[in-house]
Amino acid sequence: MKLSRSITLNNIKGRPVRTLVLVLLTALLSAAVFCGTVIVTSLHKGLRSLEARLGADVMVVPYSATTQQSFEDLVLQGTTGYFYMDTATAQKVLDREGIGESSQQVFLATTSSGCCSLPVQIIGFDPETDFTISPWIKKSFGGELGFCDVVVGNDLNAFVGDKLKFYGVEVRVAAKLEKTGTSYDTAVFTNFDTVRELIRSSMELGLNNFKDIDPDRSVSCLLINAADGYTAEEIADDINIHVKKVKAIRAQDMISGVSKSLSGVADTVSGLIAAVWVLGTVILLLAFTISINERRREFAVMRVSGASRMKLASVVMCEAVIVSGIGSVIGAGLGALVLLPFSRAIENMIGLPFLLPSAGAIALYILAAAAVAVLAGAIAAAASAFRVTRLDAGLVLRGDN
Amino acid sequence: MKKRTTKTLVCDIILFALCDFYCAGSKLLFHGCRSRMMNGSWMNCHWAEQAVFAFGIVLAVLGLALLVLNDPGIKRGIALSMIPAAVVPAFIPNVLIEIGCGKNMRCQAVMRPAVIVLGAVIAAAAAAYLMINRKRTDKEQ
Repeated sequence: MKLSRSITLNNIKGRPVRTLVLVLLTALLSAAVFCGTVIVTSLHKGLRSLEARLGADVMVVPYSATTQQSFEDLVLQGTTGYFYMDTATAQKVLDREGIGESSQQVFLATTSSGCCSLPVQIIGFDPETDFTISPWIKKSFGGELGFCDVVVGNDLNAFVGDKLKFYGVEVRVAAKLEKTGTSYDTAVFTNFDTVRELIRSSMELGLNNFKDIDPDRSVSCLLINAADGYTAEEIADDINIHVKKVKAIRAQDMISGVSKSLSGVADTVSGLIAAVWVLGTVILLLAFTISINERRREFAVMRVSGASRMKLASVVMCEAVIVSGIGSVIGAGLGALVLLPFSRAIENMIGLPFLLPSAGAIALYILAAAAVAVLAGAIAAAASAFRVTRLDAGLVLRGDN
Repeated sequence: MKKRTTKTLVCDIILFALCDFYCAGSKLLFHGCRSRMMNGSWMNCHWAEQAVFAFGIVLAVLGLALLVLNDPGIKRGIALSMIPAAVVPAFIPNVLIEIGCGKNMRCQAVMRPAVIVLGAVIAAAAAAYLMINRKRTDKEQ
């Protein structure tokens, strides 16, 4: 056992270039599997979070908003912007049949503030009726939002107790949301009274244009859940036919574009992982075959010195497992070192909802990626190990074969 | 004068390359946000980038000295001084200079993690250099 281990270790140390190439190959395999799996999982988690974040069956907005190119970006990706309809129009929508729960929201885009050198989206909601934002806020804040209290998204550089200034109005950060992987992460939430105060202040500064709408009697969107016996499609169709100047959009329709892009990216990444895995395994197989062919005399000498066929196979397999083990740990570690700190840059680049799995899940993926790479190395070496057991030592040493 | 071994030469080249990459990258690859505030002044991340670049220049000079000089004692001293020079800039964005942007901004998403990761890699490489060099000196003694 001791002799077999020392032969294996000496073989690994004695051929540094071959060992380095095999380590690099398995590191590449392991890094590809780890990074690919984490990216695909994060995208799926981001989409699930987005579905939960929309939280309503139907969203009703002024018709003019839907003609803006950035409308979907505003709702789904956190681009700042605003649009308004008067409360009388909103009431007409709420008077329609089949409306279950409903809540209003007011959007306001800021200029710079203490937490951000760039604009942020402020979302005013009614805590009495809200059913989409409150569940998220309750995860990090148990109390009630007072006047000039705000809840900030996880990606904003502001913390509980901080004072921020929007349009000259000082507000207090009452809570910070957990990471959602959606546009909520870059938004600021507050109640209606505070957002109306901010709107008033912005108008005094001449920074917002409400045209002919009274800012105190305006809302940006209505979020509606269908009553029992009605479907989201029926409600949306009914509103679109009977209420002018508004557009009702089903939440499912809104995220279908994101969902399609996401499945496209996920399929591509999965395909790449599979390709790298197959290619890596084939290259490892070739590398082991060439290496074993070069060492036929060495194995023949070991065989005539009394080593059993199983012993020869175990030397080959041990070498493969040790080398691919080292490579897989390095690869998964490097993958984590690149992917985790740069996850926001990746999120910005992909432009899709992206929510990293928990630390425990990531640790599990690292182990799984390392295991997959070791398995690939073992599979590739198994064929060579089998050939070594079939070796005819006499023929090899005579040089006939 | 003692002749440099291949192992030491490889270590010198790796550290030199890492330091140069850090220096050039802080201006070309993982720089901060390039836009100015509405009043025309630079955002804080610009000044954080400048500070990181200054440390990058120090690291590049140290890397060059490590490559050129041959005395093992001086080389060990240079490798040792690389560790704080690589670790301190990791605290520049957001700790020493508050960059104060949304976390999706380039300075938070690219510059900060790059400075931390590369700093850690250079510090680890310098520490490894010291270990390798110490072993060699022990053998010589």
